[in-house]
Amino acid sequence: MSATLVSIRDLWVSFDGHAALRGVDLDIAPGEAVGLVGESGCGKSVTWLAALGLLPVKAAVSGQVLLDGQDLRTLKPAALDAIRGRRVAMIFQDPASSLNPVHRVGRQVVEALRLHRGLDGAAARAEARRLFDLVGIPDAGRRLDAFAHELSGGQNQRVMIAMALAGEPELLVADEPTTALDATIQAQILDLLRRLQAETGMALVLISHDLGVVADLCSRVGVMYGGRIVEEAPTATLFAAPVHPYTQGLLAALPDMTGPRRRLTAIAGGVPEPWNFPPGCSFAPRCMSATSACDAALPAARDVGDGHSVACLHAHVPEPVRAVVPA
Amino acid sequence: MIPLLSLDGVSRIYRQRRGLLGRGVPLRAVDDISLSVAPGLTLGVVGESGCGKSTTGRLALGLETPDSGRVTFRGAVMPPPDGAEWRSQRRHLQLVPQDPLGALDRRLTVAAQIAEPLLIHGIGNRGEREDRLAALLNDVGLRADQAARYPHELSGGQRQRAVLARALATSPALLVCDEPVSALDVSIQAQVINMLTDLQAARGIAMIFISHDLKVVRQVSHEVAVMYLGRVVEQGDPDAIFADPLHPYARALVSAIPVPGPRRLPRIVLSGDPPNPADRPAGCAFHPRCSLATAQCRVEEPGLIARADGRRVACHRADELARASA
Repeated sequence: MSATLVSIRDLWVSFDGHAALRGVDLDIAPGEAVGLVGESGCGKSVTWLAALGLLPVKAAVSGQVLLDGQDLRTLKPAALDAIRGRRVAMIFQDPASSLNPVHRVGRQVVEALRLHRGLDGAAARAEARRLFDLVGIPDAGRRLDAFAHELSGGQNQRVMIAMALAGEPELLVADEPTTALDATIQAQILDLLRRLQAETGMALVLISHDLGVVADLCSRVGVMYGGRIVEEAPTATLFAAPVHPYTQGLLAALPDMTGPRRRLTAIAGGVPEPWNFPPGCSFAPRCMSATSACDAALPAARDVGDGHSVACLHAHVPEPVRAVVPA
Repeated sequence: MIPLLSLDGVSRIYRQRRGLLGRGVPLRAVDDISLSVAPGLTLGVVGESGCGKSTTGRLALGLETPDSGRVTFRGAVMPPPDGAEWRSQRRHLQLVPQDPLGALDRRLTVAAQIAEPLLIHGIGNRGEREDRLAALLNDVGLRADQAARYPHELSGGQRQRAVLARALATSPALLVCDEPVSALDVSIQAQVINMLTDLQAARGIAMIFISHDLKVVRQVSHEVAVMYLGRVVEQGDPDAIFADPLHPYARALVSAIPVPGPRRLPRIVLSGDPPNPADRPAGCAFHPRCSLATAQCRVEEPGLIARADGRRVACHRADELARASA
């Protein structure tokens, strides 16, 4: 196992006494692309908002978020400001609402460069232009002077990515970065993120509800449900041999693009609301394999080999395949 | 077979004003399209934002009058909106919108809203309407206690079921579903899709299913039309089109779908954004983003031409592409 860049340990978050996150553990290695998937309310965004201290004050947070061994949760605001946007940057689903509508987009990138890299004047503008070129904004020199409303959704997301890159981050957290975009534009942005990650060597956390998007970009995936990571595995393993009943259900619920059409296997019931999480396994009420033991306590994650872990008491773990050598 | 509903050479032009004092410029939201839906079957319409798929749905419902061409329902031309004839036809043509919270009245219980079309169209007496409401709730899988609640007290999936029950109340012959599952979580999406296909099988309802999600469209459709900037660029059997799209735009769209697991087609990443519909490129509207465009594509708009395998494709280079992929 390589060194860890960010290590989240037993992170809990609750709003008004209702748990939204219930003990999340996650490690991100330098340069690694990790996906977090799950449905609405599963805690995939809250995990990173909490980790970076971006939740409102009414949120009660506990646990550790270690960056190079330093706990972000105990840092003073000024020290945290030196990390956010600099070493760890974040982009969101709706770029148009993340950008200031009354300032030119170039000025907003220049501001990030001044804050994080101390650049000013012509140097900052030249660097902003380089970043615009890097993220594939055509006619970068002129687009610096555009307003957000003059650019398309895809271009605005490129501006957001340029701004996130201004601090030369070691980790980029992208929260549903392509959800508001059309399919062909989504493909462009995913390609851009892949290229930037390869070129800059930064780590990437991709938060998405779309298993396909995550499969496309990430080498490792965590599946979240009810405020916990219920399964974590290398991408190929997760899609080929999912172990948690929820992951299996999610994959069975997706229509196929090829082969004969089959009736979809829906997961009965609905996603639990955060104020209504069951005491034990969040998925138990919808799970075909659930027993009374599932309601008793939160199931701990257990290692099932090859970087694959699952938090389920009943998960059927496939036997390790042994190569049979014919005599 | 006589189609239930057909659009013949239909265009819809909006006037878009540029700037505060600018003159209006015509925006061809839907440009000379011909589509039809057979009873009991589903026509899928796919494309990106601004391609005219929702306008197509509104034209099919008679909510908009085409600027040219005609829409016929059961062989008769669609009456103009807001007349008595149009009003009485509403019961046969219903819309299932994307955002159920926006489509429901927040101050009425869900049950009252599901029963409202029955009142409006004067269907049944009080007792019959109550029976009908119970049957509708049963069809979409809502309990009576859930139906007694207000929209904000239900989950997204339950609201979408309520909107669907309301659309089904008048036993329509055609449902236009405009992104009906796009706002739902994957596990709930599958429930609603199964419900739609079950209802169609049980009642023989025809559907126009509009979505940007090709996987979902393939799941429900018997025929599919791919739209780009107001025109149909490829149309035919969903299995054929999604397995082996011919039009370069359809190819890029299919290859852009992120799939869990190994990818079958090489990914084609288009350059540039879809052009503004008010500023349509000359010739084939797709040519500025097409890697195969020739001089002919820049000046001459390709027609939607039927091919030997039954699908229709609007591309000057379709023959070459078909030979190359054969």
